[in-house]
Amino acid sequence: MKGNDFAGKSRMKRNLFIASFIVPTLALYAVFAVYPMFKGIYLSLFDWSGGSESYNFIGLGNFKEMLHDDVLPKAIRNDYILVAGKVIGFMILSLFFAVALTRLNVKGSGFYRTVFFFPNVLSVVVVGVLWRYVYNPNVGFLNSFISLFTKQPFDYAWLGGKWSIFALLPPSIWAGIGFSVILLVAGIMSVPESLYESAHLDGATQWQQFWKVTLPLVWEQVQTSVIWIVVTTLNGSFVIVTIMTFEGGADNATQVMGSYLYFNAFKYGKFSYGSAIGVLILVLSLITTVALQRLMKRDAIELS
Amino acid sequence: MARVSRTWMTWSMVLFVIFALAGCGGGADKPAAGGTPAKQGDASKPADAKPADSKPADTKPADAKPAEEPKLSGDFEIQYFVGGYGDTWWKQVISEFQKLHPDLKIKESAGPKINDQMKPRWIQGNPPDFVYIDGAGSNTRQMVIDDQLMDITDWLKGAKNVDGKPILDLLIAKPEEYQAGKYHAVPLVFGSWGTFYDKALFAKNGWDAPKDWDSFLAVGDKIKAAGGMSVYIHTGVYPYYINGALLDPATVAFNNYDGSIIKRINALEKGVFKSEPVMKALGEIVQMRDKGFIDKASPALNHTDSQSQWLQHKAAFIPTGIWVEGEMAKDIPQGFEFGFVPSIGQPSGGKFVANPYTSTVAVAKKAKNPAAAKAFLQYIFTEKQAKQWAEMSKAPSNIKADLAGTKATALTIEAAKYYSSPNTVVAPEVTIPEDLVKVRNDATLALTKGEITPEQWADRMETAADKARAKVNK
Amino acid sequence: MMRGVKNPFWRLFVNVSLVGWAICVIYPLVWTVLDSLKDNQQFLLGKPWDAPKLPLLWSNFSSVWMKYHFGSYFVNSFVVTAASTVLAVLLSAMTAYIIARFAFAGRGLLYYSYLMYLMIPTFLGIIPLFFLLNDFHLTNSLLGLVIVYTVAAVPFNVFVLVGFFRTLPGELQEAAAIDGASHYAVFFRVMLPLARPGLISVAIVTVLNIWNEYIFALVLVNDPAKYTIPVAVAVMQGEMQYRTEWGPLFAALLVSMGPVLVFYTLFQKRITGGLTAGAVKG
Repeated sequence: MKGNDFAGKSRMKRNLFIASFIVPTLALYAVFAVYPMFKGIYLSLFDWSGGSESYNFIGLGNFKEMLHDDVLPKAIRNDYILVAGKVIGFMILSLFFAVALTRLNVKGSGFYRTVFFFPNVLSVVVVGVLWRYVYNPNVGFLNSFISLFTKQPFDYAWLGGKWSIFALLPPSIWAGIGFSVILLVAGIMSVPESLYESAHLDGATQWQQFWKVTLPLVWEQVQTSVIWIVVTTLNGSFVIVTIMTFEGGADNATQVMGSYLYFNAFKYGKFSYGSAIGVLILVLSLITTVALQRLMKRDAIELS
Repeated sequence: MARVSRTWMTWSMVLFVIFALAGCGGGADKPAAGGTPAKQGDASKPADAKPADSKPADTKPADAKPAEEPKLSGDFEIQYFVGGYGDTWWKQVISEFQKLHPDLKIKESAGPKINDQMKPRWIQGNPPDFVYIDGAGSNTRQMVIDDQLMDITDWLKGAKNVDGKPILDLLIAKPEEYQAGKYHAVPLVFGSWGTFYDKALFAKNGWDAPKDWDSFLAVGDKIKAAGGMSVYIHTGVYPYYINGALLDPATVAFNNYDGSIIKRINALEKGVFKSEPVMKALGEIVQMRDKGFIDKASPALNHTDSQSQWLQHKAAFIPTGIWVEGEMAKDIPQGFEFGFVPSIGQPSGGKFVANPYTSTVAVAKKAKNPAAAKAFLQYIFTEKQAKQWAEMSKAPSNIKADLAGTKATALTIEAAKYYSSPNTVVAPEVTIPEDLVKVRNDATLALTKGEITPEQWADRMETAADKARAKVNK
Repeated sequence: MMRGVKNPFWRLFVNVSLVGWAICVIYPLVWTVLDSLKDNQQFLLGKPWDAPKLPLLWSNFSSVWMKYHFGSYFVNSFVVTAASTVLAVLLSAMTAYIIARFAFAGRGLLYYSYLMYLMIPTFLGIIPLFFLLNDFHLTNSLLGLVIVYTVAAVPFNVFVLVGFFRTLPGELQEAAAIDGASHYAVFFRVMLPLARPGLISVAIVTVLNIWNEYIFALVLVNDPAKYTIPVAVAVMQGEMQYRTEWGPLFAALLVSMGPVLVFYTLFQKRITGGLTAGAVKG
């Protein structure tokens, strides 16, 4: 009896303790992170312009409007150019660097790791401002450099062209690659040395070791990086786009879904349409990550 | 042609006076505020007969009866854009107003990006009390559509400034009626778009300033043949510059110099963007593009970028406004002589079409201190402030005032010449909702780069206008 | 012996690539420093790689600090970063400890509800969040930013710290409990100190993320007096179209980078360790 009572009290204490530790955080999380997401989905079904009182339910009206929106396809295209460009650029470069820094026995690998990661700790705002200057047609670094080799001063407007979305790739890669390098380095270092030894004894070249040992064993890190790139790009490409090309470049050449959401909502006051774009971002990124995971899983099996 | 209304004539007269006086008086010294006008004038203000004093705040109680003065207190927030006109005048006038109303807690929300920065607060319903609407991202019409500005029709009709003069009578350009019969904003600044060039450079090379489209093409060919600079650089990041300086005036010219086409554009009349005048005007952009006149760097340049390139003689012409001289004051090379023509798109032998650019002030509908905002309006729409504006911002304001003795910039003088010429037609301003402004900017830029045809330009505009109309009708 | 490349061409290629990329990373920073000391004329007429002319324009820095108010933006950023980091680390340590060490109904759900936040784009929430904070009168307020940043940092921190608490020996917890210490005492006196390395790692990552955060700060703060540094830099670049002042702009970049640079040199190992902690197993 007494023991039960004690156990009951202690159970109660335990539960109280658990509640007191998780509930406040969970409440904040629910109010400031979860609720806005659901409210956003809800808003996308209305026609609402922020301040005004009119709040009309229009069902999928906003999504139908998207079908007639000429800018949105450009924005989606641009997001996926960034995603694809970053996935390819990151993976090729960071696998190369990671292997170089671990397996190829180069001098100063610690130094390179430190340096390569550095741009990752800079604000994307800083990166964008710096690179906007690199690309400045007349006083910028890139054109001044090219002009050294041309007769006429080279004044191509990198950020003003129809395809200037591609000009946003180098800064994105420059700024983000450190993370995947570090990730892959950690992955490679956790591969047991014995595997390489036996591969070596089998007469495998460095190149073969890479394909047969390194890549299959760091495939999980590769997957993580790719998913991470997709989510952070669809979620955050807004920053680099608005810093470097303000309202989405020449004729929306660099408009992405995030920036288009922002301008619709906070510039034109079309909050519900903006929310609908947000839903689109959400859906597309879920589809993309699931599809990529499927795709990469199959590859992993084939390789191992 | 009937567009040259009485108000424009008045403004022309005013500018003519500046022209005449600046012409002979040359570098008349900066008059101390309130001081010089007293010397030259019986005509202007009786109040100025009072001994000149340096503190404007002191003159004021004498001008308006202190008894009428409402006691203002509480917070008073003023939002103003800082661009080509600078912020000297605003700082000055606000400090004067503050001295006058010591109990008022004035907050200034100002800067070149203020329109973007304050946007969310307008949406939240937490706007400043008083706003000066100018610069990228500002759009008075949009603010009226969004119901953000106070309807001041009745008040304005009877409102007198602190000198006791009716404000409406003092205005050169009358307030635009964004809704029929209603006033929501009062134009404070009067600027003009135009195509600019360096007179000294042109004289040196024997180039002639264009008088019409054909002469523009002719001199363009010469400049191109001479090499070393491109013919025409523009502000690609903000294509409303080329819209305002080239497209709109050309549209009016092709409409037989009848500004009603702009009214039809503002009304988003169906098919207006496909109308012949618009298509012909667009055709000119295509023509200069195909001749390779447009500087390739343009699409990535904002206005100070493009303007400094132009000042460095990287290009011969630039579409911008008469504020450029003040805006770029720090970066003007030795020997540079500002020159401009109001328009270049008119057919051979045609008239110039001047496209004004006014910037308005307004009271927020949800102002917390509307009394202070109105009092501030009464304070700034005076002849004294008109002179101070001209002095400090190096551009004409929208207030009729005898600007004699103030130092006008070369461009103001030149503007005066054009606006007072019988050979100039003054166009109404294009005021369309903000999302259409964006579509128009994008389309024009795409056109200058050869990515779309004029027909596609028109299609984009018609589609966007359809959407906007559907919204209004809902 | 298994390592290294024999082929001299490859060796060269690898080394050149590494040096090349290192230059690509370091050079823009060097060049930011050089350019922060120039005036407009040097920008317009000189080359970007030219050294600044003497006398060096240190005034660009004072101009940024005073005239552009970066002094107060720095304080804002500092206050927000410090407060949010302390809160976020504390709250997520509490939650992570429970998830790692206590079995209760809904534990898995709780854990995955936090994980979800890391997997999906949250941009959608920005619009309702803006109106929510507005209703609470928390827009244009540093407190509002602190709350939002804290909440945004919790999921990642929980994720990392759950892993960390799981690796701590359980005996200490049990021993302390047998000694009659309360659950709270066990956590604050025993577990938290033990978890210090993990806490420091997530704290560092949190500091960096918040110091650099732009989107929330842009949307939720519209009062220039309350700007954080990233917003201030973005606004300043936007203002360049009206008054071009390249030198001060680069000085502003340095003001923004400075603390990060110091932080990074001090904690480089932990930063890279902390960031990858979640992603690499073991």
